[in-house]
Amino acid sequence: MSWVDATRARLRLLFARPDDESRVDQEFRFHIEMETERLVQETGLDRQEARRRALVSFGGVEKHREVLREGRGLAWLTDMSLDLKLGLRMLVKYPGLSLAGVLGMAVAVAIGTVSFGVIYTVIDPALPLDQGDRVVAIENLDARRSDDGRRTHLHDLATWRGGLQAVEELGAYRTVDRNLITPENRPESVRIAEMTASGFRVARVPPLQGRYLNEEDERQGAPPVVVIGYDVWQSRFAGDSRVIGRALQLGASQHTVIGVMPQGFAFPINNRVWTPLRLDPSDFVPGQSPSISVFGRLAPGATLNEAQTQLTTIGQRLAADHPETHQHLRPRVLPYPRAFMDSPELAWMFHLVQLVVSMLLVLVGTNVAILVYARTATRTGEIAVRTALGASRGRVVGQLFAEALVLSGAAAVVGLGAGWLALREFDAVAARNGGAQFPFWMHFGLSPGVVLYVAGLAVLGAVIVGAVPALRATRGQVHGGLQQLGPGGWKVRLGTTWTVLVVAQVAVTVAILPWAIVGVDLWLRHRMAGPGFPAAEFLTARLHMDREGVGTDDAESRGSDIAVRYANLQGELVRRLEAEPGIADVVLASALPSDEENRRIEVDRETGAAGPETAGGSGSAGHRAGVYRVEPGFFRAFDIPLLAGRPFQAGDASPGATGVIVNRSFVEEVLGGGHPLGRRVRAASRSPETSHGSAQAGPWYEIVGVVADFPRPVKPNVFEPKLYHAMVAGATHPVALTLRVRGAPAGSFADRLRELTVAVDPMLRIESVSTLDDVLNQDAADQVLILVIALVTLSVVLLSAAGIYALMSCAISLRRREIGIRTALGAGPGRVIGSVLSRAARQIAIGIAVGVTVTGLMVQTLAREGVDGRDVVLLLAVAAFMMGVGLLAAVGPARRALRIQPTEALQAE
Amino acid sequence: MAPRAQTDALRGSLDLLILKTLSLAPMHGWGISQRVQQMSAGVLEVNQGSLYPALQRLEQGGLITSDWGTTGNNRRARYYRLTAAGRRALGNELENWRRFAASLNAVLRST
Repeated sequence: MSWVDATRARLRLLFARPDDESRVDQEFRFHIEMETERLVQETGLDRQEARRRALVSFGGVEKHREVLREGRGLAWLTDMSLDLKLGLRMLVKYPGLSLAGVLGMAVAVAIGTVSFGVIYTVIDPALPLDQGDRVVAIENLDARRSDDGRRTHLHDLATWRGGLQAVEELGAYRTVDRNLITPENRPESVRIAEMTASGFRVARVPPLQGRYLNEEDERQGAPPVVVIGYDVWQSRFAGDSRVIGRALQLGASQHTVIGVMPQGFAFPINNRVWTPLRLDPSDFVPGQSPSISVFGRLAPGATLNEAQTQLTTIGQRLAADHPETHQHLRPRVLPYPRAFMDSPELAWMFHLVQLVVSMLLVLVGTNVAILVYARTATRTGEIAVRTALGASRGRVVGQLFAEALVLSGAAAVVGLGAGWLALREFDAVAARNGGAQFPFWMHFGLSPGVVLYVAGLAVLGAVIVGAVPALRATRGQVHGGLQQLGPGGWKVRLGTTWTVLVVAQVAVTVAILPWAIVGVDLWLRHRMAGPGFPAAEFLTARLHMDREGVGTDDAESRGSDIAVRYANLQGELVRRLEAEPGIADVVLASALPSDEENRRIEVDRETGAAGPETAGGSGSAGHRAGVYRVEPGFFRAFDIPLLAGRPFQAGDASPGATGVIVNRSFVEEVLGGGHPLGRRVRAASRSPETSHGSAQAGPWYEIVGVVADFPRPVKPNVFEPKLYHAMVAGATHPVALTLRVRGAPAGSFADRLRELTVAVDPMLRIESVSTLDDVLNQDAADQVLILVIALVTLSVVLLSAAGIYALMSCAISLRRREIGIRTALGAGPGRVIGSVLSRAARQIAIGIAVGVTVTGLMVQTLAREGVDGRDVVLLLAVAAFMMGVGLLAAVGPARRALRIQPTEALQAE
Repeated sequence: MAPRAQTDALRGSLDLLILKTLSLAPMHGWGISQRVQQMSAGVLEVNQGSLYPALQRLEQGGLITSDWGTTGNNRRARYYRLTAAGRRALGNELENWRRFAASLNAVLRST
């Protein structure tokens, strides 16, 4: 017989399955009816008797059906569904254990999902453009600098355009921030992409209206034009269908709208407004042109390697021809999204996330292994009986696998759901806060890859949790397992594997718990503490001034002009703001109270001072303080009283002045108490006030006044000692503007602030407007981290408790007979239980000891202040807590053990 | 091919009986068992328990096919019939059987 025919016939039968069942039924029914008929006719029996005989001679119908099913090779399907139903019933029967297991694994799955989703998006993003994988970026790496030393020269662009065959449509862009001003609406700050026309051709997205940029627009002297994105079109022009030709003001210049891009278009990074890139290489000295980013598209048929080879050749030629600028540059071409990836912060984050996830999964795996090991150990007898009755090994393993699959499947579903929600939230936060930093192709969400990964995890989990223990249990002889049910009691020994597992689990729990507690405590304290002053009344923003135009990026030569202009504009803005009703105070500073700009502080020992010299002398690492430059009115605006000395006066802001003010924490921590006035201090690194940068010494400053601290620490880890310089107007850019608003919520003034700023000068730009309240509470990343740690800890504790419960349960069940006998002989219940639990309690104690040691070491190395009394107390509390968990877990089994009647225990004999 | 777990001879002879019966005319399962009984004058009684598995096995092997049909008294039954491959196999099996029987006879007859 041809195997083709056979296979075809088999396949046909396989896929006709639902049909088959009824067909088999019908055939059997027909057969039995015919046989009944025959018996009636031939032997004259009545119908009922004939039918009975027919059935008897036919044999068991169900058995035949099963044989047929097995012959078809589909028996395992029905068996599987039966096992799944059994598994579900088992899950429901032990709700506590199941809940703990499912939740614990679900947390791990959720975290795995999120990290996988994030990593997948960040590491291997796909550009959602036509043939997006062929869009590339080209950059010059500086071989001398190991960090981000990229400088893509304007002049190289022309060279590359000429010589690089493998890449077509080479273009470039740079981003500038400007005010977007339309007469009717409020001004806002946008990040404009100045781009060559080829950028639109590379993206291959046709405009919604009008046209996009072309080479004509790039000419110097061409009329200023702008292409706007869909959102700008809707919000600024109300979707006007005749928007082409209307005017839009960017900064100080007017532009004509020539096109609208469709919704979702944000090439090159996350931009909504595009103007032509008008940088002529001949205007600049080679090596000192503005930085631009170069991109292109691989020519049809070209590969990345070919492009790199050509590029390297060009680079070598350039290095030979212009050694003074190009000797150390190594050009390279890479897929476009990768150009954003190589920043060191991202790589660090990626590794950190991976580490955390692996640790977590190991932890959870350990926990679940304990749970399951315990469960399987109690069922060796049942497994032996089934095997003896004829169940094949495959069937037994299959059943245990199905049970485990139900557990892990439930966990996977819950975890996937939670992970999806988290990813969505992450995406929303990124879109809101990241703004221009998050590229348009990075969207965090569930991809088919993630779902597959989770499904794989679930199956793998079920294999580990169900199949492996079952395989081990069915490996031995049947009678060994049967003995378990008999008088000999259990021969299953809780070996070293189990001991190690329990100890490890307890140790890790003890190690993690203190950190989680500290973290949550900090977060709660921070949340509930509040800043101590009415932060909701303050509106903060950063004031930028655009220094537009051609020229070098290094503003050294025009520094003083810019500073003067900035100072004038600031002054004008402050005047107008103060004139506004509802504004109680306007104050400028180098940074907000929540910003941390701390430097190492050096104290001059020569100015004789009484008091202990605990601060570091010149050169020693010692204390740090936040350094700010503030206006004289700063302290009054925040209601900070002066404690000693004098406030800032006009003279303090002049270039040679040396007066500084410190706060009380500074006196206590940096100066070690004692008399502060007249002491001289300086920040150890280069002083930003003077622009001649010597890395070592700056001038000494004399303390002329002491103010109180901000009423409560504004952030848990912001250094409280502060050093205030008098601000030189115009020298600090950008400057932090704080308004105290009376009579209305501070946030309502934001629009007016922008209007006033633009009215003073369109080149003045307001960024990051928010109330001080929001700024102080905005530790979004911290909050997420804390939440994750809390969840992880909770799941770990749950699983830990469940594992210990299982352990205790096992330990007691193992020694039922012994307990019964000893109780019968008159031993007190306490002693009996104590001896039984002693082993388990020992394991827990070892685990606690290990965990405490590990935490202690971690605290020692990581914490800045070393181990203090508070930490020790916390550690002890955690240890006691774990012991308490262990004891609590033991209560149930212990009570069961106490209720064992001696007769019952002995009955087995 | 389906695994032959039980004694080869028994299974083989049942297959042979079925194939031979079907070579005469297409028939349903009950009919096959009745026909065999008739043709052997009551000596061979087909075990119901093995009949249908054998039919399924032969169908999976592609030697027979089945279809719904109606009996004489208007009942719905599943009719089996030989395929070309089945006819070929029947020929082979008959040949094997004859050779086997002959050699067995020869051994038994020699003294």
